[in-house]
Amino acid sequence: MTAEVLFKSGFLMLDGGMGTMLQAGGLEMGGIPEMLNFTHPEQIQAIHRAYIEAGADVVYTNTFGANRLKMAKTGRSVQEIITAAIQNARAAAKEDTLVALDIGPIGQLLEPTGTLSFEEAYDIFREQIEAGKDADLYIFETMTDLLEVRAGVLAAKENGGGKPIFVTMSFEENGRTFTGCEISAMALTLEGLGVDAIGVNCSLGPVELVPIVQELCRWTTLPVIVKPNAGLPDPVTGKHSFAPERFGACMKPYAEMGARIFGGCCGTTPDHIREAAKVIRAMEPAEREVSIPAAVCSANQTVVIDMPRIIGERINPTGKKRFKQALLEHDTDYILGQAIAQVQAGADILDVNVGLPDIDETEMMQTCVKAIQGITNTPLQLDTTKPDALEAGLRVYNGKPIVNSVNGEEESLSTVLPLVKKYGAAVVGLTLDKDGIPKTAEGRFAIAKRILERALALGIRREDVYIDCLTLTASAEQEGVMETLKALTRVKEELGLRTVLGVSNISFGLPSRELVTRTFLTMALHAGLDLPIINPNTESMTAAVRAYRLLANYDKNAVEFISHYGGETTAAPKPAAQSMTLGEAIAAGLGHEAAELTASLLKEKSPMDAVNEQLIPALDKAGTEFETGKIFLPQLISSAAAAQKAFEVIKQAISESGSGSVSRGTIVIATVKGDIHDIGKNIVKVLLENYGYTVIDLGKDVPCEAVAEAAVQQKAPLVGLSALMTTTLPSMEETIRQLRACCPEVKVMVGGAVLTADYAAKIGADFYAKDAKEAVDIAKQVFGV
Amino acid sequence: MITLTAIDRVQAFRYAGMQAQPDAQLSAAADECEKRLLSAVSPRYAERVYPLEQTAQGILCRGSRLVLTGKDIAAHLEGCSHALLFCVTLGEGADRAIRTAAAQDILMGLLTDAMASAAAEQVCDQAEAEMLTRLPDFHATWRFSAGYGDLPLALQGDFLGAVDAQRRAGVCVSESGLLIPRKSVTAVIGLSDKPVEQHRKGCAACNLSTTCPYRAKGAHCR
Repeated sequence: MTAEVLFKSGFLMLDGGMGTMLQAGGLEMGGIPEMLNFTHPEQIQAIHRAYIEAGADVVYTNTFGANRLKMAKTGRSVQEIITAAIQNARAAAKEDTLVALDIGPIGQLLEPTGTLSFEEAYDIFREQIEAGKDADLYIFETMTDLLEVRAGVLAAKENGGGKPIFVTMSFEENGRTFTGCEISAMALTLEGLGVDAIGVNCSLGPVELVPIVQELCRWTTLPVIVKPNAGLPDPVTGKHSFAPERFGACMKPYAEMGARIFGGCCGTTPDHIREAAKVIRAMEPAEREVSIPAAVCSANQTVVIDMPRIIGERINPTGKKRFKQALLEHDTDYILGQAIAQVQAGADILDVNVGLPDIDETEMMQTCVKAIQGITNTPLQLDTTKPDALEAGLRVYNGKPIVNSVNGEEESLSTVLPLVKKYGAAVVGLTLDKDGIPKTAEGRFAIAKRILERALALGIRREDVYIDCLTLTASAEQEGVMETLKALTRVKEELGLRTVLGVSNISFGLPSRELVTRTFLTMALHAGLDLPIINPNTESMTAAVRAYRLLANYDKNAVEFISHYGGETTAAPKPAAQSMTLGEAIAAGLGHEAAELTASLLKEKSPMDAVNEQLIPALDKAGTEFETGKIFLPQLISSAAAAQKAFEVIKQAISESGSGSVSRGTIVIATVKGDIHDIGKNIVKVLLENYGYTVIDLGKDVPCEAVAEAAVQQKAPLVGLSALMTTTLPSMEETIRQLRACCPEVKVMVGGAVLTADYAAKIGADFYAKDAKEAVDIAKQVFGV
Repeated sequence: MITLTAIDRVQAFRYAGMQAQPDAQLSAAADECEKRLLSAVSPRYAERVYPLEQTAQGILCRGSRLVLTGKDIAAHLEGCSHALLFCVTLGEGADRAIRTAAAQDILMGLLTDAMASAAAEQVCDQAEAEMLTRLPDFHATWRFSAGYGDLPLALQGDFLGAVDAQRRAGVCVSESGLLIPRKSVTAVIGLSDKPVEQHRKGCAACNLSTTCPYRAKGAHCR
């Protein structure tokens, strides 16, 4: 079926509420409407028929929750339910009625807030899509999580036989979904993925949705769907307030804005659809002029490239021993720290490069994309030379990322660009090919043009191609500096493309690198650079971009500039680091000072001595004061956090000198299966690390067998388990059972709000730790140090 | 419409285990956490009033699948013809803010988590007041949640279904019975056309009564 068939009259009429009709017919709140496909097929068919008679071109099957999780207890398979539902719709359909397989949210939130993985979500949707092959199109509705929608759309694209895919999401009055997804992010992401129509349903009534749909119309060239509720439900009666005629009249402004597909959600009946159809059919479809800007996004944040935007370059192991070590040890916390620091320093986009010869880059890319997106809304640029790693990152990326990069070589063009197209990303094109980097601006411009043509031929938008004219080192190729900038200006002016440039290389081998780099950055911005790739933590670089935005009249009235540099200049006086000891800094919870003092201490002492003579006594003192009630948990944690910063300096020194480690032994810790409350476990981790133990943190919601496997693999003498809820204590017990089975010699300590010493003993734990301090005492006891 | 402009510091520090006056440094850290948390949350709720019906299994909220079981809820709803069920949440933004804070600094993580718990309580108070003004004909009990006394957490699924919580507030229940987003609360308020006797909400009804650090010292959390 083609788009023309779908829109034979210019508009497409969908049906109205199914749940509303079923509840009116006696279905209890929270009941399973999908079972009525078997028990009351005539009732379902009658509802479909009533909507078709009212004017619906499309009916949604009664399968909103027909996924394997929600149907688990019904005794029916997803295939059986969906087959029966499609049969019911077909039984009511006229010859030209389209049957849409209706797919609602899975009903579980995805990681990291929830426990459902992206891959599992994909597989749940795949099962629904395959079971619904006899439908005419697929519709995902009432969605609030863009990542979940992406899983569904990919499942439909890859398993749906090319049938049209519609998506509607539910927005609140603040213009965001419950998970914070922006309208622009929805549009950029789903149009990129090649969905056939997008829009809104549920959440709000037909009046409140007007600004939402207006905004959506600005961000997409796709047909726009409007399927509002009949107002909000009354808390006592559950009834919705809009009568059919009033509902129908509300459709007019949407049609005038250019929306093409209409229907109703909760509270709407065949009468509402009849009235809406009457209004719509009397109108002519409005044409929309849409020009979508160059932009990238995460689900919660769209970055429009309408002024220079900073790409942070620090998530990259090149030339950084500490970063390499973090990658080898799977230390994602370190990488997250790098992400947060750059965002706070002013990065608009973060480059993510996790390539290292000795690691599985594909797995690492996926892990890092998920983890970084779990803690920041800043859009990402996926930086890899490996197509597998690139696709792994693109698959799980929530939003529209930048791919870094493609170049003018045939192999690169034919492998990277199809991935960019499939996942709807933007792409950086490097102006080099099999002959290397052309010396002249003309040569680089020619490659840029070639990359653009290939991208356009695949259907990638011009606005999504960014060109990198490549910075050469001034100390080696001084005559090349201006060629780069000339090429950049030509790409920008003659091809109309956005430009990107890593600037740090310019100063390699020169004194006063920062001065040279900053000057080049300013020159490049003036030459037309849109996306400088810099270290945003270097204040002068970020400041140069902000000053440029001000001077070039992007930062109107200097609002941004003043907000950063116009504040108070006198900070509260802080105790001078040099006048205190490391112990005092830790006791006072002064992380910055603790790090400084550690650095100077390491000039005189070995890392091991610094740990044993200064760090640990300071922590012991804090621990004793905590035990005796002189200080409380936040103060203990404050000291631990300061010690953590000191420890980071020590780790850095060790990885740079390549001298052994200071580890006192390995401990595996986890928050048990089913539990997602991990703050206590994280506090224990920090304290144990402060004392020099190597902590393998398996995270939260960890399967019992994964804990056992890790204990065996790491040969850890001690395992720590946490659980906050009574409902997850059974999985703690099961984890201990499995640990005992595969490594009987391992000691197990447990903790968590609902645990007691008695209960810990009952489920077979060796130790009960009532707080983080006790966990350290237990570790000392087990390891003898 | 719920608006949250400031978080109850006393309660938040209590949740964080701070049993003394916080010093300037801790207060400053708390200021920062509060600022970020307030910009990240989107408090909201879903509610529904049901007539109650005594059945062999327990108290049925008629028109839904929810049956409230156990002697504690029965005592709580004594004399009530209806129940107001509701689910409040700070939204996924709170989970994200806690994760981000914890990735930056564990102290910030602890404080943000505690602030969010205090904020969830405040949102409950506001939501309750807002809902009850719309039900002027009823007298109300205090709110009772699954996990108090012998009201099992296992009924969270049917509870969320009864208020259409996923659609209306974006709240789910995990397989192990946890509400997600994490800073979400479900509660029952008994409604009666006659004044109801307010059984005091005491430690016995609390699911932390056996491990509570305040109780161990002979004190109370409120």
